[in-house]
Formats: sequence, structure tokens, C-alpha cells
Amino acid sequence: MRAPNWPLFLVAMLAIALLPLVFRNGYALHIMILALIYAIFAQAWNLVTGFGGMKTFGHQAFFGMGAYASALLSMQAGLSPWITIWIAALATSLAGVLIALPVLRIRSVPHIAIVTLAFAEIVRIIVSNLRGITRGELGLIGIPGFDALTLPVIGLVRFTPAQKLGYFYLAWLLFAVVTAGFLAARNSAHGMRVLAMRDGQDAAESLGVNIAAYKIALFFISAFIVGLIGAFYAHYIIVLTPSSVLGVDIMVLVIAMTLVGGIGTVAGPIVGAVLLVVSVELMRDLGQYRMLVYGGLIVLSVLYFPNGLASLADRVRPWRRAPERSLEQQDNQP
Amino acid sequence: MSAEVFFTQILNGLVSGAMYALIGAGVALIYGTQRILNFAQGEFFMLAAFGLFLLSTQVGLPLVVSAVCAVILVAAFAALVYRAAIQPLMNREGWEFSTIAVTLGIAVLLQNVAFLLWGEKYQTVPYFIDGSIAIAGIAMPLQRVLVFATCVGVIVAMTLFLKYSRLGWAIRATAQQPDAAAVVGVPVQRIRMLTFAIGCGLAAIAAVVLAPIYAVNPWIGVPHLLKGFVVVIMGGIGSFPGAILAGFVLGIVEAIGITLTSSEWRDVIAFAAVILVIWLRPAGLLGKS
Repeated sequence: MRAPNWPLFLVAMLAIALLPLVFRNGYALHIMILALIYAIFAQAWNLVTGFGGMKTFGHQAFFGMGAYASALLSMQAGLSPWITIWIAALATSLAGVLIALPVLRIRSVPHIAIVTLAFAEIVRIIVSNLRGITRGELGLIGIPGFDALTLPVIGLVRFTPAQKLGYFYLAWLLFAVVTAGFLAARNSAHGMRVLAMRDGQDAAESLGVNIAAYKIALFFISAFIVGLIGAFYAHYIIVLTPSSVLGVDIMVLVIAMTLVGGIGTVAGPIVGAVLLVVSVELMRDLGQYRMLVYGGLIVLSVLYFPNGLASLADRVRPWRRAPERSLEQQDNQP
Repeated sequence: MSAEVFFTQILNGLVSGAMYALIGAGVALIYGTQRILNFAQGEFFMLAAFGLFLLSTQVGLPLVVSAVCAVILVAAFAALVYRAAIQPLMNREGWEFSTIAVTLGIAVLLQNVAFLLWGEKYQTVPYFIDGSIAIAGIAMPLQRVLVFATCVGVIVAMTLFLKYSRLGWAIRATAQQPDAAAVVGVPVQRIRMLTFAIGCGLAAIAAVVLAPIYAVNPWIGVPHLLKGFVVVIMGGIGSFPGAILAGFVLGIVEAIGITLTSSEWRDVIAFAAVILVIWLRPAGLLGKS
């Protein structure tokens, strides 16, 4: 097992941090912020699906819950978004534990897919129907942005639609922390146990891995990250509708990104998210073909590229170990 | 709730129950025989509805002829999709997830192709039969009676087909013991492709009888797919009779449920029920645990 390449990670993070020097305009910043948001989201989905082996299709629920919870808390309770994003993330992670409970009972891939999808649809319908609180599909408006900060050296940092630089560096910071966390956890004893659980649940259990605890923990961590980034998204975009943050489309996007990049690898979801967000934006004329492109990419990568682009790096550099076994056989029985 | 409202809702529940049963039967057939959860099932439903609309209003064929053609075309297309995108995955590791992912991708593709070709506007298809009849004093549009009769008729025919025809035996043999079936001369790959086509064809049949009631647009498949999944889980995944029983139970529970709450909460009832079933009895109502 190779150790994480920390120097490469630091260089990459530094390079990302310097990007706004080259791309200064608001539109370019917006694309980079979106890419970072999706890179975090896809990593968190990959944690449960690629590393944990539980194929969930309902993570859009966590994104939307984080977004709506933080937006509503900041609007109704008058709390600062700096506080509400953490409350929202924590609440979302508890929902993650709740959905992990039925998942504990089953190993069958289709059952997990349906339970998680049904859960996400319930959340979407509830948010759409509670118009008194969320305004439903009319959209929740008037969500406050982050309060301005006075930092040492840098001075006053504002967070407004016109001043995106603050948002960019906040997203960058979240991305750096999450990615560093995954890199470190990947090779830790916990990471090994999770992979063992994915590749041979009974064997792992017989060797003393507490399967239930790990599955719940994965859902807790993953939902926390997705809820947090959903909350960030709410205070960045400042308008929410159920279809924009809770629709199945979002899950399709994240699945496409992860599969294109390489499921079950740390780099895969990041590569996929950046590639898809940027390329779809570059082909802006293709705007209405966006979902078509995502659907097509899922089909093509599953059929012809099951290990994604991240495995390509391994192929190009033969001294690296072979790509992880990313998909496993599981029992058909529930 | 008055007795009359209650009885009306039971009748409505039976009609939507028959529809859920038929859609669920299609999902169950594909899952039960080859463990594939087909996320594109709803899009074959949508394509059949569009096929009926285009053939009857644009080409000008008679309604019934259009309906039959639409079902056959969709089943043939499903066979093609199976051959091109699903069969290659079946021998690979992790096919349970990759078949879900690939059918999800196909679903998104088909939705958006339909959107680009035919637009988002709701298209209407005329009723097969107009008028209504009174059942125990309650007026029932004949089209709804037709939906009920078609769904029940197709389910019965399908059950008999699986049980008594040679092809039905081959399908069941392939599901139970593919290697043994191959030894006695069953063309396993072709049977699987055929089963997939029949399963999608069942969704197509439901689509053509329902199209006049619900109207047609690229996104109509998704809710039906989700209902199909709910029915299949509740009935015991892969169990054909279970799906049928669960279809009727769901139809009636929903019909009663929406008179007690409101129609916008209907899907919440169905999805919450499915999570509870998986939590408490993962094998479903009729499944073997």
C-alpha cells in the first residue's frame, strides 16, 4: 500500500489557490467554485459507494437538507451562516445515520439503491410540499451570504455575489481539508478495515471488524460532508428550489463524475468533477444537452472504462500498483 | 368518509393497483430472472406512450394498431439495448452495480433525447373508448375499466405463459439454473434478451392504455419506475405474484390515503412504506427470507 503523496497534494492545493490570479472574472470564479463543490460532493458519495461498497442513490437528499437547513436557520433564527452551516451539517449527518439503519439490514445492491432513492424522494416531496416554510418550487429567496470577515494580513473579506473570491477560498479550504482527510484515512487502519469490509464482508467480520459501526460511521461522515457543502452552496447561490438541490439530476451528475474519474479511488471523483463541470461549461452552447452528456458519459464509462480516468494514470505509470478493485461481488439475497 | 366516497376510492385504487401490478410485474420479471434492476424501465414506458401518440396522431394509424405497434417497437428496442449495453456487463465483476448505473445512464439519455425530439409539452392521446358505466351506482369512465381489464388480462396471460408454454419454461429454467438450462439446449443469452424485452414490453402495455388518461411528456416514466420499484420491494423482490399483490395493496392504500390527507403526499406514503418493508421484512410480503 503506497503512502499518500503529500508533496504532490500540497503542490496541487497551492496551484489551485493561485488559479484566481489567472482567471479573475466572476464567471471563471463561479465555475471553479462549482467544480470544488462537486469535487467535495463526489468524494463524499465515493466514500460510501466506492470505498464502503454500499451503492447509494440518495445523496442528493443530504445536499438539499444541508442547504435548506442552513438557509432556513439563518433566515428564521437570525443566526450567522458561519454557525448555521455546522448545525445543518450535523443535522444532515444524523439523517445519514437514520438511513444507514435500514441499509445495515441488507446487502443486496438493488435494495440499498431503492431504499436510498426512496428516502431522497421523500425529502424532496416534503420540502416541495411545505410551502409555508420553503415556498416550494417558487424558490426560497433572501438567503443571507456569509458575513464579512476581518482576517489578519488579508484584511476585510466580503462574501457577496459580486465578490466571489472569498467564496472561492472558502470552498478551496473545505476541499483541502476533505481531500487531506480522505488521503490520510485511505491508508489508516480504519481505511483498511473499510476496504476489507467492502471486498469481503464476512471475512472482515470474522476478523473482528465491527461492520455495523463502520457502515454507520461512513454514512455519518459522508452525510456530514455533503450537508456541509450543501449549506455552503445555499449561502453562495442564495436561491434554493427543491428541484435544483434535491432532484435526482444531482445524483446523476455526481455518479457520472465519479464513474468517469474512477470509483473507489481518492483522485477519481476530483478528476471527474473538475473535468465535467469545466467541459460542460466550455461547451455552453450545449447547455440543453447537459444531461444528455452526463447520461451518455455514464453509459460509456461503465461499458468501456469501468475503472475511470484515475486508472489511466496507473496504466501510464507502470511502477504504480495496479488500480484498486473498485466493484465487488455481493450476495443477491437481502 | 362516506360509504360512497370510500367505495369510489376502492374502485380507483383497484384501477391504479392493476396498473402498478403490471408495471411491477415487468420490473419483477427482469429482476427475478437475471437480478438486473432496470432503471430504464420508466423510459420504455415513456417511449411507448410517445410511440402511441406519434403513430396515431402524426402517422394517422388507428389507435389500437398504433398501440400494438408501439408495444412491439419498444420491446424490440429494449432487446437491442440489452444486447448493446447490458449483456456485455453480465460477465464482469460488480455487474449488479454496473447494470444499475448503465440503465440509469440510458434512462437519462432517453429522457433527454425525447425532450430534444418532441419537446416538453404535454401531448394528449384520445381515449380508446368514450363513455362510462355505473358500477354499483358509481360512474366509472370506460377507459379506466379498460386499463383495469388490460392490466389484469396481461398479468393472467403472462402467468399462464410462464407456467405452461415451452418458452415460459425456458425463461424459468434460465432464471433458476442458467448452466443446467444451457446443457439441455436452452439458448440462455437469447432467452435473457427476450426476458428483458418482455419485461419492458409489459411497461409499454401499461403505457399505451394509460396514455389517454395521463397525457405524454418526456418525464412521465420516472414516477412509474419508482412505483414499480416500490411494488417489487413490497412484494418480495423478484417475486411475480408478490409484485401483483403489492400492486393492488399499494393502489388501494394510496387511494384511501389521499382522501385522508391530500394527493401531494401520496408518494411519501408509498416511499415510506417501502423503507419500512425493507427495514422490517427485507424479503417483502411474499418473498422467501
